[in-house]
Amino acid sequence: MFAALHIPDFSVAAVLRRRSDLIGYPCAILAAGVADDPKGKLPLASLNRAARLAGIRPGWPLNRALVRCPDLRVLPRDPNAEADLLGELIELAESLTPDFEITTADLLILDLPQKTSLTSLHLTEAEIWHARAATPDLAGLAARHELTQGRHLQVGDLATVPLDLLRTLAIDSAPFGLLKMWGLKTLGEFMALPRQALTERLGSHAGRWHDLLHGKTCRLLRLHRPPESLVQKIDFEDSVISLEPLVFTLKRLLHTLSGRLASRHLAVACLELRLILETGAEIPRSIRLPEPQNTVQGMLAPLQTWLDSLQLTAAITALELDAETTFASASQREWFGRQLPQPERWAETLARLEMLLGPERVGIPVPPVTHAPDAFTLRSAAGPPVSMVENSPHPACPVPLHRYRPPREIAVAHESNGVYPMPLALLTGPYPGRIIDARGPYPASGAWWEPTGSWQRLEWDIQLASRQLLRLVHHPPDGWQLEGVYQ
Amino acid sequence: MRAEVAEDQQLGNLFSLETFPAGAISEVVSAGPVSGVGLVVAGLLGDSDECSPYPELVLIDGADSFDPASFSAAACSRVLWVRCRAAMEMLKTADLLARDGNVPLLLFDATGLARKEVQAFPASSWWRLRQTVEGNGGRLVVITAFAMVPCAARRWQLAADLSLRDFDCARAELRQRLRITGERLHRVS
Repeated sequence: MFAALHIPDFSVAAVLRRRSDLIGYPCAILAAGVADDPKGKLPLASLNRAARLAGIRPGWPLNRALVRCPDLRVLPRDPNAEADLLGELIELAESLTPDFEITTADLLILDLPQKTSLTSLHLTEAEIWHARAATPDLAGLAARHELTQGRHLQVGDLATVPLDLLRTLAIDSAPFGLLKMWGLKTLGEFMALPRQALTERLGSHAGRWHDLLHGKTCRLLRLHRPPESLVQKIDFEDSVISLEPLVFTLKRLLHTLSGRLASRHLAVACLELRLILETGAEIPRSIRLPEPQNTVQGMLAPLQTWLDSLQLTAAITALELDAETTFASASQREWFGRQLPQPERWAETLARLEMLLGPERVGIPVPPVTHAPDAFTLRSAAGPPVSMVENSPHPACPVPLHRYRPPREIAVAHESNGVYPMPLALLTGPYPGRIIDARGPYPASGAWWEPTGSWQRLEWDIQLASRQLLRLVHHPPDGWQLEGVYQ
Repeated sequence: MRAEVAEDQQLGNLFSLETFPAGAISEVVSAGPVSGVGLVVAGLLGDSDECSPYPELVLIDGADSFDPASFSAAACSRVLWVRCRAAMEMLKTADLLARDGNVPLLLFDATGLARKEVQAFPASSWWRLRQTVEGNGGRLVVITAFAMVPCAARRWQLAADLSLRDFDCARAELRQRLRITGERLHRVS
């Protein structure tokens, strides 16, 4: 037995739930973007009961509707309100059965035991029509019409229902013009026609409608399954101030997670841990595992290493653990590509290094894409492997620079050569001495469009009498820096 | 300790993983004002245009002096850069990575450290590191301004007399000009 839940005039009902001031007035929503009329007149898509009582019907052009009912209020669609209303309808269906299909936004079909009552269903400020039938499509059709809603439908009960109800099943409206020309007005008249003749004249879909109305087809429902969530949260009765109880709790959560993953044949690709402190502050941490894991120890080790390195200003009141899942790797390793021999250790080692050195001290360097000095970025080595052909330019200087961070401030003897100063000797710093050769200046500037971040500099590659090769930088008007040494 | 010295060794060997003995510590000592140590690192990172999915060597950078702008993006993708601020951080990092064993080559760059800091490394820590890499077949290469590893299996002295005119040459050509003196070290009991 199947049941159908339908919200009549879904779009307008969703909007009117948020506009209580319009209840009782005739209201309509236009079908934006579906105007077949060459004059561009938009048809009405959805009407409320007051508008129907005024004699207006869906599909009328707006100007005709306004002639019939000058008080008609035209409302814009509200996708958020529609999503909320559909969400409430789904909740209602879930309270009856876990097996249901979201056929359209305004219609749900439920696989329901016969004894379950539908009469007490209620939504806040929205009407629900429902019907039962032996097949899902019959139940859906019955719930959509005022004459049949609320009933347990038998095949013959649809005989008096207008033929237009079939439009809810059809993508192409062309056959309906022909049926109208034949003088058919009700579903009963359609059902009385021979199936073979209908199929020959209107196509196979007419035969399918015929079967459906006679209850000969019973399709399977496309069951709605809510997205699975693996989030687990624990609120501590007493705030936690030491590592041991935290790890104990975490281990408990990981045992549950591991069990749930094992039953689904899945593994964890990334763990999301969130600590909530007494002060209300939250500390989120995302740990991507180098290889999918579903063992407690494999997941706990990188988390524990991170927790070891934490220095908190307040006690922990709650803990939330989520996981991004993937399929457990059961494939053979690559023969020709290099892989980490012990990937399960890698994330832990990186976490230990971060604990030892602090953030932004370990990673894979990515060269700068600007000419700004020392503007590199660090990519996490724990992330997914990046494999791509890189067409970035090769560095201009063949000898790599050994860079000082920060650059050393020095004093330089120089002479003015028209526009630029020319360095003659380094007076202070690690390599004082006379400059015997120099290349430059290479002027560079950037971010001049920013009020605070603009920079301007002159660079020289110099060689001293002591044979040292250095990079010297001048910041106008009188700043000199030693940026690095070529080794 | 007995050292066999081989002058002017073939240079190309110093830029591949196999040059450095597995399960041992090697030492590259820079001699002179421009020694070409940076060229050794560039040679190990290679000239390929294809990025590597995983790091192939770890650079334990004692003075935080590695300059990514001096290398291509593909070369940078081959290195895990560990930016240390103190000598003891370098030792602890090397110990962690040697025990991890996922990356086959560890470059321990101590060239930016002052002599006093380098001399403060306890000799026992080098023996412990050697024991660790012996266990998993890793390669630890110490780059320094003067010899300091008592248990190094191989030691190379590196020198290059480069000038600004050499900046017009290709990197591969400059690598050919490096002067290397190799020593094979044996313990005599």
